[in-house]
Amino acid sequence: MTWLSLERQLLDAHPGRAVCADLDHAALRQQALHLAGALKARNIQRLALYLEDAGELAIALLGAWRAGVSVLLPADAQPQTRQRLAGQCDLWLDSLADLDLADALPLAGAALDLDHCQLTLCTSGSSGEAKLIDKSLRQLSNEITSLEQLWGKQLGQATLLGSVATQHIYGLLFRLLWPLCAGRVFARRAQPFPEDLQRESLASGKDFAWVASPALLKRMGDNLDWNALRAVRQVFSSGGALPAETAAELQALLGQWPTEIYGSSETGGIAWRQGGELWTPFAGIELGQDDSGALKLTSPYLPAGHSEQTADAVELQADGRFALRGRLDRIIKLEEKRISLPMLEQALLSHEWVSDVRLGVIQQGRAYLGALLAPSPAGLHALRNQGRKTLIETLRRHLGEHCEAIALPRRWRLLAQLPYNSQGKLAQAEVERLLAEPRPTAVAPLSAVEQNSEWQLELEVPLDLAHFTGHFPQTPVLPGVVQVDWAQQLARQLIEDLPPRFCGMEVLKFQQLVRPGDRLQLSLRFDAERGKLYFAYRNGEAACSSGRILLGARQ
Amino acid sequence: MSDLQLEIKHLIIEALGLEDMAAEDIAADLTLFGEGLGLDSVDALELGLAIQKRFGIKIDAEAKDTRKHFANVASLAAFVSSQQTA
Repeated sequence: MTWLSLERQLLDAHPGRAVCADLDHAALRQQALHLAGALKARNIQRLALYLEDAGELAIALLGAWRAGVSVLLPADAQPQTRQRLAGQCDLWLDSLADLDLADALPLAGAALDLDHCQLTLCTSGSSGEAKLIDKSLRQLSNEITSLEQLWGKQLGQATLLGSVATQHIYGLLFRLLWPLCAGRVFARRAQPFPEDLQRESLASGKDFAWVASPALLKRMGDNLDWNALRAVRQVFSSGGALPAETAAELQALLGQWPTEIYGSSETGGIAWRQGGELWTPFAGIELGQDDSGALKLTSPYLPAGHSEQTADAVELQADGRFALRGRLDRIIKLEEKRISLPMLEQALLSHEWVSDVRLGVIQQGRAYLGALLAPSPAGLHALRNQGRKTLIETLRRHLGEHCEAIALPRRWRLLAQLPYNSQGKLAQAEVERLLAEPRPTAVAPLSAVEQNSEWQLELEVPLDLAHFTGHFPQTPVLPGVVQVDWAQQLARQLIEDLPPRFCGMEVLKFQQLVRPGDRLQLSLRFDAERGKLYFAYRNGEAACSSGRILLGARQ
Repeated sequence: MSDLQLEIKHLIIEALGLEDMAAEDIAADLTLFGEGLGLDSVDALELGLAIQKRFGIKIDAEAKDTRKHFANVASLAAFVSSQQTA
């Protein structure tokens, strides 16, 4: 099949040139020109597209560009995203069927102007705001032309199947624009599950290639027909780092290394590798570093003359290749989804129950987010009267309007205040260390003073005590048995030579409930003669509980 | 609630790190993905692997829409028992 460049896609019809299994180029062109007419008739200038069908997206992109309409591809379709982008577009389409074409006349076929056709991609910016990235058709065209030069022969007439969405640059280029210009069939729908990808692959005839992501490739499982899948022409992986052992496993199973692509929405593709650690830049890309060692580059996939600074630390090699050494900012990737921690923190801070919050990544099984959160007075009130679960579910729901499910923290740690150091900083490593710890069961006294052989302790009941979960779900109350246990444990830290054995309790009184965040005064006195530890908890003027713990010698 | 459903609920909580959830929070007919419990496609992949490992079954790669068994705990339990007896 001959190459049909992006600019010439709508010039002439090519009947019989396959686009999708059920769509040829002539039909694609005719539908795109019809859509162009409808957009023009409605005087649409800016169009947002959130289409899960890559065939529809191809039609809509070409049609919009033919009509001089600039296109926005939102990263997700959450209500907050729609609202935020409402000012950036005249029309948002989730399906081509949403646009009535009945009264519109198609525009005539014509070449597209590579420098005037615009596409805007969305991603998470480092400031916390969602970032819009403008691309000209020329940048995209340069990139797919160079991909074809590198791997066109290898792919031959393979059908392109993928696990990734076409809303992002990788899926858009590899699953849609590149096969479209190369005359390779591409699948309309993404196949996020291995069994489905296998079935579609084997149904496509003998030639197929995958546009996949580490999220899928790490979890292929062992029930696939790997012998049949060895026919795969090429396996692309991008969006995040593919673990070296996954790459090696795929090499063993498929007889070829996956082709990993390193790049970003801002830069497009930067480099590739097939096994090994080092990345080879695409042709025409010039690499450099800033003072912190972060990669910067110029590229034919960037606007001419533009140098893009990344936040990825790199080590450049003498032969022009390079190694990646991690991010230098607070944008993280969870399963290839770029997530701005500052953005989520700001979204949480906008809730009246939150006074301060920091997010971090927890690596246990799959990586997920955790939140260290200091509730506001209203949040504390909610915690004390409605329970932890209501507090957290409410905050998760609030956050769910701002982000995809993957970014919702799964672990929460509630603190009276976040532990900033004397410089007012809280290192990310410290956040993640605290998140990795289990919920507390003990209390550390704020102060402890001895007077006339009686100890006076000042305690703050942790907001997030593990005991509160079952005691009680809707109204957390410090259990009496925990109060007795704390009294004994703290006494052992302060008073030397306490008899080791717990023998019983006397005159226990529980007069007032103790709840999360309460400030308590605990007095402790040991009567060595009688072997009795006297304890009393007060909350200001109010007596909370008191009693005597009988202690005896080891038996 | 069957023992199998309870076991699957515990597996979901454990495999996906849902530490604030208890088995009784996950109704047998609660939608697991998207709405409802709000799990995503990576959770579906993880859960697929965990289910296959725990119960020694295989998700049939030939059959279409096997993932629809992952709609909720009840459908997953039915799927697991049908695979175990198959």
